[in-house]
Amino acid sequence: MKEYELFIGPQHPGITGNMMYHLWVDGDTVTKAECNVGYLHRGFEKLMESRLWMQNIPLVCRICVPEPDVNEAAYSMAVEQLMDWEIPDRAKYIRTIVLELARIAAYLMAIGSYAGSIGIYTLPQWSMGDRDYILDIFEQLTGARVYHIYIWPGGVRWDMPADLPRLIEKTLNYIEERLKLYDDVLFENRVFFDRAIGVGKIPCNKAIEWGVTGPNLRACGYGYDVRKLEPYAAYDEIDFDIVSYPDLGKFDAHEAGDVYTRMIIRRLEIEQSIAIIRQALKKMPESEHILKHPNWLRWKVPEGYAFARVESSKGEFGYFVVSDGGLKPVRVHVRGPSYTHGINVAEKLLQGANIADVSQILFSLDICPPDIER
Amino acid sequence: MKSIELLGKGEEMHGRAYIKLSADEIEESIKKLKENGFNHFVMLSCVDWLDKGKFELVYHMWNYEEKEHAMLSVDIDRNNDVMKSMSHLFPQIETYEREIHEMYGIKFEGNNRLTPFLLENWPHDPPMRKDFDSKKFVKQMYESIPFIEGDENEGI
Repeated sequence: MKEYELFIGPQHPGITGNMMYHLWVDGDTVTKAECNVGYLHRGFEKLMESRLWMQNIPLVCRICVPEPDVNEAAYSMAVEQLMDWEIPDRAKYIRTIVLELARIAAYLMAIGSYAGSIGIYTLPQWSMGDRDYILDIFEQLTGARVYHIYIWPGGVRWDMPADLPRLIEKTLNYIEERLKLYDDVLFENRVFFDRAIGVGKIPCNKAIEWGVTGPNLRACGYGYDVRKLEPYAAYDEIDFDIVSYPDLGKFDAHEAGDVYTRMIIRRLEIEQSIAIIRQALKKMPESEHILKHPNWLRWKVPEGYAFARVESSKGEFGYFVVSDGGLKPVRVHVRGPSYTHGINVAEKLLQGANIADVSQILFSLDICPPDIER
Repeated sequence: MKSIELLGKGEEMHGRAYIKLSADEIEESIKKLKENGFNHFVMLSCVDWLDKGKFELVYHMWNYEEKEHAMLSVDIDRNNDVMKSMSHLFPQIETYEREIHEMYGIKFEGNNRLTPFLLENWPHDPPMRKDFDSKKFVKQMYESIPFIEGDENEGI
């Protein structure tokens, strides 16, 4: 049969942001896929080399739009490693709460957009609306809805307002209730089973070698999570289990590493994040929320190489920071999880897929082009 | 640390192993670490040390069992910026090399996909090099540069 070329994106509802996939198709089947990025390149890494250590905080959060806080946390942790700082306990708990709220918000967005890709258009409306309640919490805590610029080297910018835990608890209860409706519409829906089971399978023996991380790796049966492997913030003091295939709670386990399992893992991790936030609120100690810091304008960071990693909703986020002892970093290199998921892994998974499944495979990998391009 | 024992050199830096290697040793070292549990290739970074006249390539590897992060560092001459590709060892290295080729101009022998990645139709110098002056470039391209308050102090 004659081969056709097909371009999906950058302006296409079935694509995960401003990126493009160039597909070669034979009938309905994709024979080759190539990822094309570059629509979002803003040169943050170059910019960071000409700014002061502190001036980079408002930049890094813009690297991941749905979940900006992981960037602030990873950058701050790398700088804290170089400075040899231990942050106050209260700041650790506040960071945990902020990161988990951001994770829930990012998962809601991911689940909503996935549902849209298989034609269930109710869920995107609901989940984007529900995400706004979490943004309300962020607005009260940080003053901003999307880019919070809240986690700083040495702690967090402001202490948590006294009445905020009540709002957080109210929102968490609401989201728990809403998850039941999400199950009815998507996760226990026959359409989801028929479309997702066995589709877009990551070969589990290759997953680690391909650089798959986060929920996508846990869907392959590896219970690896940076929160447990290298605990940061207050995760070492919080009791939680890693959700991984085949232990999917009330949901049936089918095949490892397919679209179904990846989405179910995300659904279960929302509940887990809610439990973590409740524990953190209960255990939060009274102390300072930030270290006494040097004058930001004359702040020199000791020479050295530091690497900090954080578990984001998409996978492992890493910051490699190099300092020569000066006022500005020599190099900041960001490892975004989508760098592997969106390029090498997606190109391999799309080979042999049906055109109708392209969109759901991409959404189930939760690819976010800003962290590819930085 | 396991990686330092395996390769017989290196130092600990902020809880990570930092191992300085020569360009000839890197392939064998990555293979050796991969066989011994460092099976997650985290990323490949490039640092431009303009005053020292070298590029530094840092190969980050992670061992899930030992919970250990190893940074393998190789220096290459800024005037002879050629390096052997390692993309046959981990598939994602291909993309990292592609980006470094574009942003720093380093040529990776053996990588067949050094095609434009983030920048398309870019006839100028590689932009992440330290001697690429962004402000001068903007002035030349657009004939003006927007006024930024405090700009004379270079961002302070």
